[in-house]
Amino acid sequence: MDPLLALAVVGALVVVSTALGLAWRSSQGRVRRTVTTDAVALDGVELAAGATLLQFSSEYCSPCRATARVLHELAARTPGVAHVELDVAERPELAARFGILQTPTTLVLDSAGRPRARIGGAVRADQLRAELGRIVASASAVSA
Amino acid sequence: MSRPPRPTRIDPRGARFTASVTAVLLLVTVALGLLGGVAPTLADRALQPAFLLLVVLAAIFVWSAAAGIARNPWSALFRRLIRPRLAPPAELEDAAPPTFAQGVGALVTLVGVVLHLSGVPYGLVAAASAAFVAAFLNGAFGYCLGCQLYLLLVRAGLVRRSPSTIRA
Repeated sequence: MDPLLALAVVGALVVVSTALGLAWRSSQGRVRRTVTTDAVALDGVELAAGATLLQFSSEYCSPCRATARVLHELAARTPGVAHVELDVAERPELAARFGILQTPTTLVLDSAGRPRARIGGAVRADQLRAELGRIVASASAVSA
Repeated sequence: MSRPPRPTRIDPRGARFTASVTAVLLLVTVALGLLGGVAPTLADRALQPAFLLLVVLAAIFVWSAAAGIARNPWSALFRRLIRPRLAPPAELEDAAPPTFAQGVGALVTLVGVVLHLSGVPYGLVAAASAAFVAAFLNGAFGYCLGCQLYLLLVRAGLVRRSPSTIRA
């Protein structure tokens, strides 16, 4: 192959990879609101009065550990919020049911067990806190 | 002589450094592969520079996947030369995720080795490019291959573990 063309191909590979990396990074930790009326009742998972942070983790996943720590601390400091961590290798049926494509993935369940938000990738505490405030507030507005 | 135990906690910056060096070498492999093409005979193909470099990289991937990421030569270089000049790491990480990624790298590069020996045009370039993308994303962005690929194995039913207690 012509050296200039080879150089162009290698350069294109780097550019495409960088674009992929930027897209991936901006998607990580973004809170997506989910619209569903379908309540989740999971055996072995007890729902909290405010919100339950259901985290899907896997074995070969460093950000899962970091996210577990963030969610654990958040749950410990926020009344009515609980953190539950599941291993996808132990519960593949749940990974399939919720269409989990990466770990960690965190579902924010309201007090009735409805998924209200979904976070793919490492969780950013400040973003999640804002979302939790909204979910807990709407739950208390309904029960009032 | 007893072998020292495999470290299970590593400096995450070492893993990023290893991925970055690997990415650069894979990119060189891609460039050499594009320039050299595929030689007509098996003996010639086995001596092409891109092929030789890919064999070395595949061997390193196999070794780090089997012995652990901490025994990867670039990780050792990081520990000897770079880490002493850095502040201590904010935290240590589990060695299992990057070691899993080394296993994936071993598989992909070995496919490239076989394709090239079989004379498949662009087989080596395609495999080295795929491995480059993963190593580059890991080194430059902290992308974690085990976070997605392992899950695909689980969902394909290839990996299954019996449920233990739920960690709350």
